[in-house]
Amino acid sequence: MQAVRDFILERNPKLDRLDDDLDLIDSRAINSLAFVEFIFLLEELTGESIDPEELDLDDFRTLNAIGARFLKQKAAS
Amino acid sequence: MAVREIEPIELELDRLEHMAESGYYNPYTLFDWPDAIEPDMPWMSESLTTLAGTPMWDELTREQQIALTKYEAINFFSLNIHGIRELMSEVVMRIHERTYANVSEFLHHFIGEENEHMWFFAQFCLRYGGKLYPAQPTLQADSVEHLSPVARELVVFARILIFEEIVDHYNAYMATDESLPHIAREINRVHHQDESRHVAFGRMIFTNLLGQVAKRDPDEVPLVAEYLENYLRYSIGTLYNPAAYRDAGIPDALALRRRALEHPARHAAHERILKRTRSFLTKAGVGRELVK
Repeated sequence: MQAVRDFILERNPKLDRLDDDLDLIDSRAINSLAFVEFIFLLEELTGESIDPEELDLDDFRTLNAIGARFLKQKAAS
Repeated sequence: MAVREIEPIELELDRLEHMAESGYYNPYTLFDWPDAIEPDMPWMSESLTTLAGTPMWDELTREQQIALTKYEAINFFSLNIHGIRELMSEVVMRIHERTYANVSEFLHHFIGEENEHMWFFAQFCLRYGGKLYPAQPTLQADSVEHLSPVARELVVFARILIFEEIVDHYNAYMATDESLPHIAREINRVHHQDESRHVAFGRMIFTNLLGQVAKRDPDEVPLVAEYLENYLRYSIGTLYNPAAYRDAGIPDALALRRRALEHPARHAAHERILKRTRSFLTKAGVGRELVK
């Protein structure tokens, strides 16, 4: 999860804190131009491939959602 | 789209319209499509692949190198197709707005030609590669909401221009690369020929809209410069598609992508790809030197 936080903070120097329930998309902490890189980062962290035509934006909306959908699944497997 | 806040676009386009009319061709009969691409020939210039100039290229077997040129050609043409779909939908929505009345004639040529380009790029990918790569996902909450309507309008045409200039860097080189199969050379050549008019138009409309942004609020120009710099980097990133590495049989596609993007030889290649565009943006007064 630290790598995910670093990715977002690096691109948003004005964000002094990053709450787990901040809406990353509506707040534009992750914008369209960064989204593709973000998906590649998640794929690399989880070893799971994400189909760009099938993805559900709600899985990416908050750190909590990302943790539940991508990172915990890996820990449990 | 709030085009009423934009002043009418007045451009001198007679020469470009005349060239579009006199150079008109039928793309559906122009090309002689072979049944297959000759084996062992690269599908795109080796020096234009995303691993060129790095040890990662040298570590590949010859089969992997040829496969990489194949799948990166499909990725390059797929990016063209998705880029054309985006720009056509934007231009179609504007073509009979009052703001664009004076340039509507050229926009008709533009859309017609882009539709034809999309057709021949897809023909190449589907005939010889059996597929296109899917478009990258986009977000509804976009990256331009902080900009004024006129600056957002500028961004629409800036994206089209930047996309076309990057593509043209590749087309211009491959149009005369004798190591490529004839059909690949031809597609790049024909596209390069049409795009020179589109780039000329793109620069004119960009300059007009940038003037409108600066007149309304000069302080917004650095914000536009920041967006454009991010867009240039994003565009370069899309050339590095891990799916193409996987299809070429290269392991650890994502780690490879990261290593390639960071490699100094690739940074130098990115500068070459973007050189013409960056120099235009700097001369226009909206280059990366404005980005804090």
